[in-house]
Amino acid sequence: MNEKYVKAVRRYHRNLTFALGVILLIFILIPLFVKSPYILNIFILVFYMSTLSMAWNLLGGMTGQNSLGHAAYMGLGAYVSCMLITKAHINPWLSALLCMVVVGLVAGVIFFPCFILRGPYFTLVSIAFGEALRQFIINSTFFGRASGIGLPFKKGNSFLDVRFTSKVPYYYIGFVMLILVYLFMKKIERSRMGYALRTIREDEDAAAAIGINPIRYKVMAVVVSAMVAALVGFFYASYTRYIDPELMVQAKSTESVLPAVVGGAAYVEGPLVGGLIMIPLSEFLRAKYSAILPGINMLLYAIALLAVIRFRPTGILGWYMGSKVKNFVDTVILKKPPVEWFEAVEQERSGRKEA
Amino acid sequence: MMEKTPIIEVQHITKRFKGLTAVKDVSFTIREGGITGMIGPNGAGKSTTFNMICGYYPPTEGKIFFRGQDITNKKAHEYTNMKIARTFQIMKPLKNLSVLENVVASCYFGHAAAKNNREARERAMEILQFTGLYEKRHVLSKDMGTPDQKRLEMARALATKPELLFLDENMAGLNPAETEDAIRLIREINASGVTIFLIEHIMKAVVSLCEEVIVLHHGEKIAEGTPEQVMNDPYVMEVYLGKKEAPHAQSN
Repeated sequence: MNEKYVKAVRRYHRNLTFALGVILLIFILIPLFVKSPYILNIFILVFYMSTLSMAWNLLGGMTGQNSLGHAAYMGLGAYVSCMLITKAHINPWLSALLCMVVVGLVAGVIFFPCFILRGPYFTLVSIAFGEALRQFIINSTFFGRASGIGLPFKKGNSFLDVRFTSKVPYYYIGFVMLILVYLFMKKIERSRMGYALRTIREDEDAAAAIGINPIRYKVMAVVVSAMVAALVGFFYASYTRYIDPELMVQAKSTESVLPAVVGGAAYVEGPLVGGLIMIPLSEFLRAKYSAILPGINMLLYAIALLAVIRFRPTGILGWYMGSKVKNFVDTVILKKPPVEWFEAVEQERSGRKEA
Repeated sequence: MMEKTPIIEVQHITKRFKGLTAVKDVSFTIREGGITGMIGPNGAGKSTTFNMICGYYPPTEGKIFFRGQDITNKKAHEYTNMKIARTFQIMKPLKNLSVLENVVASCYFGHAAAKNNREARERAMEILQFTGLYEKRHVLSKDMGTPDQKRLEMARALATKPELLFLDENMAGLNPAETEDAIRLIREINASGVTIFLIEHIMKAVVSLCEEVIVLHHGEKIAEGTPEQVMNDPYVMEVYLGKKEAPHAQSN
């Protein structure tokens, strides 16, 4: 009897690994077949915007704290790493680490007082923070005012300097960043911190009743989220080689929210699904229609978004999780056994360990 | 009655909300290992007293001691580390999480916090079995009815391994059969060594469970003693059970 469970569970895991492997392989092979820089650019855009959206999702989806300032963390990250590279001549990879630390500290210090209050204050401060930061940079000669700063262009490729003439290396770096951040978020979701954040999202009083300090965990969430956004900022700066304060406008913050909301903010995978659909859609609409009817792409984009929020408020994944499609994928393709079998196997395993 | 150091000692606590005095100069003790109840009509200040003892708002005056240690100004989230847990009158299940996840979350915190996911899940399973929610472990907690949500409140509190459990109207809204189940569960929890302090409206439950009862009225303590003593107190009969009713008309 138990043998049957173990076999079924093992087979399911094998099928799942195989399916994920195929998807990974497709993404790895894409640059070998797709030579158009335009298409590659869209993929890179998907990678870093989805990563930014995952950072947002840690706060907005998991903790229930709606931030509208993620473009500012990303922008600050980009600025800090550019300043470190151009003025202090620090290696870009090292600057990535340093800019994450700086942005994490700034976010922690600014948002700690907001979390003493409950309610929408955090959202309000996050909007103000982004705008204040943008105005500060526009008016600061040190940060290059409104004209921004460029990273040095040199001939040839250098992995050490994160400087490539082709888009392909950026594609892979972006992809690796996406995967690493995804695994990191998945790890958080299953950890004590993940449970604390979700408990806070559902009810702060209930969280306190089981011994969670809501302020402490909310600050942790905002710091981690801002650090990941800073990493995206570093990637963006290295990719475009030029940044300006426009990076931090409010609309960009909203763009970081969309993939998560459309994909399903309750799921770590939500931003991935949403990003993969919404960003190519946006780019396609822009390319196709902006010459004929300027702004029509934004309009259609907004309609698509409204439709999701109106008809599928839990996002695409929220719909998928309860749908027949998932049932079909699970039972026919992946051959997923019932939950009880997993538990039986788990119990068996822990029993064996204790013995 | 056996004299022992009380697990909780409340000394002259008063709570004022602006002009309104919700609780006025209330003192009592909770005996370790027992089941102590608090009753009183609506608006008597029961929940306010409860919330003060559990750290949700500090008393305006007075002090609260836990095993001789002053805990008056402890924050709500520090309580599970002192092995004290509570439930809420208005249930606060983590709506979008499954019953299992609700309890796993609790297992991660408190004085005996689980170190990893496996340990947390194993402990959660035990508690679900104990509270009779095991069969429903994969149901989203918002999809359950009141009786199961009340059970879940208790399961979540128990998952922090308390030695003192505060139950806020854990039987309100249950039918007689469900109330019987709840009483049995509370007895079992108490028998496992957990001291219980409860607020309850259902007199039958109070009489059958509690060894000691405290009666509040208009924010003041008006009586204290065994259920029989309290029920036969003329003043309690007047304010709580109605003026001319005999004590056997107890159906709330």
